[in-house]
Amino acid sequence: MDKENIRNFCIIAHIDHGKSTLADRLLELTGTISERDMTTQVLDSMDLERERGVTIKASAVRMEYQAADGQTYVLNLIDTPGHVDFSYEVSRALAACEGAVLVVDASQGIEAQTLANLYLALEADLDIVPVVNKIDMPLARADEVSMELADLLGGGLDDVLLVSAKAGTNAQAVLEAVVQRVPPPAGDASAPLRALIFDSHYDSYKGVVAYVRVVDGEVLKGRALHLMATDVRTEPVEIGTFSPAMHPTGRLGVGEVGYIATGLKSVQECRVGDTLTYATGPAVDLLPGYRPVKPMVFAGIYPTEAEDYNALRDALEKLRLNDASLVFEPETSQALQFGFRCGFLGLFHMEIVQERLEREYDLDLIATAPSVAYQVVTTQGDLLEVSSPADLPDPEGIAEILEPWMEVQVFTPSDYIGPIMELMTRRRAEVGATEYLDPQRIILHYRMPLAEMIIDLHDRLKSATRGYASLDYTFEGYRPGKLLKLDILVNKDPVDALALIVHRDKVYEKGAALVEKMREVIPRQQFAVPIQAAIGGRIIARATVKALRKDVLSKCYGGDVTRKRKLLERQKAGKRRMKQFGEVVIPQDAFLAVLKLEE
Amino acid sequence: MQLTQHDRFGSARPLVAPNHPTAVYVHVPFCRARCAYCDFATTAGLEHLIPAYVAAVCREIEAAGARWGRLRVPTLYIGGGTPSLVPPADLEQLLDALRAAFRLADDAEVTLEANPGTLAPPYLAHLRDLGVNRLSLGVQSAHAGELQMLGRIHTWAQAVEAVSAACAAGFDNLSLDLIYGLPRQALQRWEETLRAALALAPQHLSLYALTVETGTPLAGRIARGTLPPPDDDLAADMVELAEALLAEAGYFHYEISNWARSDQRLADRGWQIPPDILSETVSPFVCRHNLVYWRNAPYLGFGAGAASWFGGERWVNVDHPQTYIDRIATGASPVAETEHIPRPLEMGETMMMGLRLAEGVSDARFRARFGASLEAVCAKALGQLSRRGLLSWDGRAARLTAQGRLLGNQVFAHFLPPLDR
Ligand SMILES: Nc1nc2c(ncn2[C@@H]2O[C@H](COP(=O)(O)OP(=O)(O)OP(=O)(O)O)[C@@H](O)[C@H]2O)c(=O)[nH]1
Ligand code: SF4
Ligand SMILES: [Mg+2]
Repeated sequence: MDKENIRNFCIIAHIDHGKSTLADRLLELTGTISERDMTTQVLDSMDLERERGVTIKASAVRMEYQAADGQTYVLNLIDTPGHVDFSYEVSRALAACEGAVLVVDASQGIEAQTLANLYLALEADLDIVPVVNKIDMPLARADEVSMELADLLGGGLDDVLLVSAKAGTNAQAVLEAVVQRVPPPAGDASAPLRALIFDSHYDSYKGVVAYVRVVDGEVLKGRALHLMATDVRTEPVEIGTFSPAMHPTGRLGVGEVGYIATGLKSVQECRVGDTLTYATGPAVDLLPGYRPVKPMVFAGIYPTEAEDYNALRDALEKLRLNDASLVFEPETSQALQFGFRCGFLGLFHMEIVQERLEREYDLDLIATAPSVAYQVVTTQGDLLEVSSPADLPDPEGIAEILEPWMEVQVFTPSDYIGPIMELMTRRRAEVGATEYLDPQRIILHYRMPLAEMIIDLHDRLKSATRGYASLDYTFEGYRPGKLLKLDILVNKDPVDALALIVHRDKVYEKGAALVEKMREVIPRQQFAVPIQAAIGGRIIARATVKALRKDVLSKCYGGDVTRKRKLLERQKAGKRRMKQFGEVVIPQDAFLAVLKLEE
Repeated sequence: MQLTQHDRFGSARPLVAPNHPTAVYVHVPFCRARCAYCDFATTAGLEHLIPAYVAAVCREIEAAGARWGRLRVPTLYIGGGTPSLVPPADLEQLLDALRAAFRLADDAEVTLEANPGTLAPPYLAHLRDLGVNRLSLGVQSAHAGELQMLGRIHTWAQAVEAVSAACAAGFDNLSLDLIYGLPRQALQRWEETLRAALALAPQHLSLYALTVETGTPLAGRIARGTLPPPDDDLAADMVELAEALLAEAGYFHYEISNWARSDQRLADRGWQIPPDILSETVSPFVCRHNLVYWRNAPYLGFGAGAASWFGGERWVNVDHPQTYIDRIATGASPVAETEHIPRPLEMGETMMMGLRLAEGVSDARFRARFGASLEAVCAKALGQLSRRGLLSWDGRAARLTAQGRLLGNQVFAHFLPPLDR
């Protein structure tokens, strides 16, 4: 394909504004997916994505389109996730594209990640095709939202396409706009090969599969490749495009998007952001690559069965190929033994990583209470980075604890200022400026500790505003805080993996609420289990899980054996995400109790 | 040696040596009205099917007799449903068929389950004539309100009457079923029921905790909030109360939910029992038929919904009486499902069932059966459970402790798949 007829674009938006549904229409119009194989949000192919109705992974697909000008174009589309925790997926996809379709829900208007993702796209120099979607909804404010969008982009109102992805209205216009407004890829077909790895996954037969955008030259099967950053040579086993399943073609031309099954079995050798070239006649300069991610939230991940440690390490390494925002390093805990300290972009990311590890690698895991990364100045004058409360030095050794603060923008209809203010100030937020998006919609600026933000702020904000508010945040800096370590004792033993770092003013309230929540989530067992919260050895709150007194099948005769046995087997198999501590079993929910406290 | 042969129902089953004693169960899936908590294989309003049904059961029995060659049968249990709804003539036909097909021992224990609302003196006399020597009466509660909540068709007065009529007819082995842990049932109410039952001096008592089975009217009422769910902690108190009262009254607690009257004073012996419940005459009233289930020994079941465990396989017949009748009429197999039980699972089931008994699972018997010692097969579980105080293991037998009896499921699960790695 002549590169003049190639268009590489992604679809970006705030969560739920209809990216994947629009992708469905484009796939249909171009006949990429047969009617038989079509489902709603067909690119959300992971079970987890379908169950939750949310895109987690960016996915690429190649389409062929006969445009109104009579020419045939190859359109490489990348559907991206809208959730803020997966913004790294978006930024990597952008680097493989020349254009972005920016979708805005006509009833919701511009929201936090609309702007955040737009800025990412502009930074990456992409041309923007603005789309107002869901114009079929009764509450659609298509004209108003188009106007806002035109203002935002500094373009004409005519540039904004009014679409219903669900009904298919004007979907064709999106394809035409992509052809006309997105430039063809720039690259040099005759230069030495340079292909950017923007994503990857592990395949047990084909090894590491790299998703690439060919920037210069072309990739042909049969020639050895060289990964420039890791300095590894490899013979690719398969080259192809996404249809959206992997479809071998044996070559990828300049400007194209596709995959290269590298045959590499070692997962460290292939890194997202690296440049692929030929082993002979290689390119000289690496492509810019990606800024590494900075995790926001940390938690320990441990196998419930100690012997699964190696399997967990293997799983994490393989998952990292497909989730470049995941970071981890080995960690030990007195209570949980051997596991990994993992960094995530947010709690949703953390939840998804745990689920994917369990489902894709058949593991049973416990994640500890999430924490942010603190800086501790010791009395010796050293500066320690502490992302696990268990690692906090003894109080005598601490001169000062610093915690990360964020700049937070809340996008909301102005009606909800009251409840939002209340919610934010309860969480130690400093109130900043108020900006008007339009007469009804505002952006409220705050500064607040990240630790207060990660705990369910997003959901609370949504429920305080009937789902209308959205938020975005950036790192501001470290500030000293009056922070203490809150220990949790189960059955009189401190469980390091349950410890928390808490603000001094809230420690009693938190301690009491926490032990009460744990009492609810720890199942009753043979013995009564006391749960205590303590600061520096002093108990400040307690609750008791009552002993389980009766759990026995009363009736069991000949005709019952199979049924009763299966009942017991099911109960036994159903005990997932439980960790045995001596006499006591602690379920996953107890570790996450801190997220579920009433305010 | 085991042989496999195709029977006339077309399924292949290993043969068990013909001399092997085998318990026989006959299921009668008819009731006058459905009780509110009942999820057993039974029907209400189909009593007109009884004659055809009994005829079909007789054919199934004949076929089994022909197939296995007059097995020795030490115990026979006719359960339901409500077997006491079967007219004497049909019952006679059934027993004749059984006697023709099997060698029913002269001293065989022959039990019939009866609903106290269905027992008239002439009927009782017929039962005796037919050789029935044990009656199990579902009396459930001494409280009118509770009986009504449960949807039982009889009153307590009828229960008392049934007991005295049965004694008058010559029955000297009566068992009463009681149910506890009902919504809103106070401990004192339970004590009243227990004392009322003890006043009747039955030879045997079965006490069952109410389990709220999904899909029953009772479950519906609890889901809708018109009844509170049963309180498990209170149920535990009820068990403890029953254990104390019954021990005092001279009953021997030989299985989690079963007590047999003893002439010895057992109050101080409690659950500490001899290695074989039958060998020492602890009580002549231990239910020998049910003991077969708990010892995981072979039995054949006939009729709709009946289960059999024989030659390494467990199979169960279709539930519905009409389907059952039709299958037999067309010469088709009444079997709905067959499960092959591999040895390791059989061991697990032997533990799950055997630990229910006061005698526990004896190492000698386990070894004779499986060729491996208990220690060799489940040392880890025995150790863990002993440490937790749920099990006692003295190297000769594994038994539940008092707490283990209340938390039996936690114990049984250790011996069942998925097995601990
Ligand atoms: N009424 C209406 N609903 C739409 C339209 N487009 C999408 N939806 C609905 O909006 C919801 C979200 O659609 P998705 O396509 O999954 O949104 P998304 O932007 O891909 O979401 P994420 O990838 O999770 O950020 C679904 O319930 C869609 O059916 C539309 O044009 N009209
Ligand atoms: S009498 Fe027994 S079998 Fe019949 S409905 Fe009542 S509980 Fe069920
Ligand atoms: Mg999506």
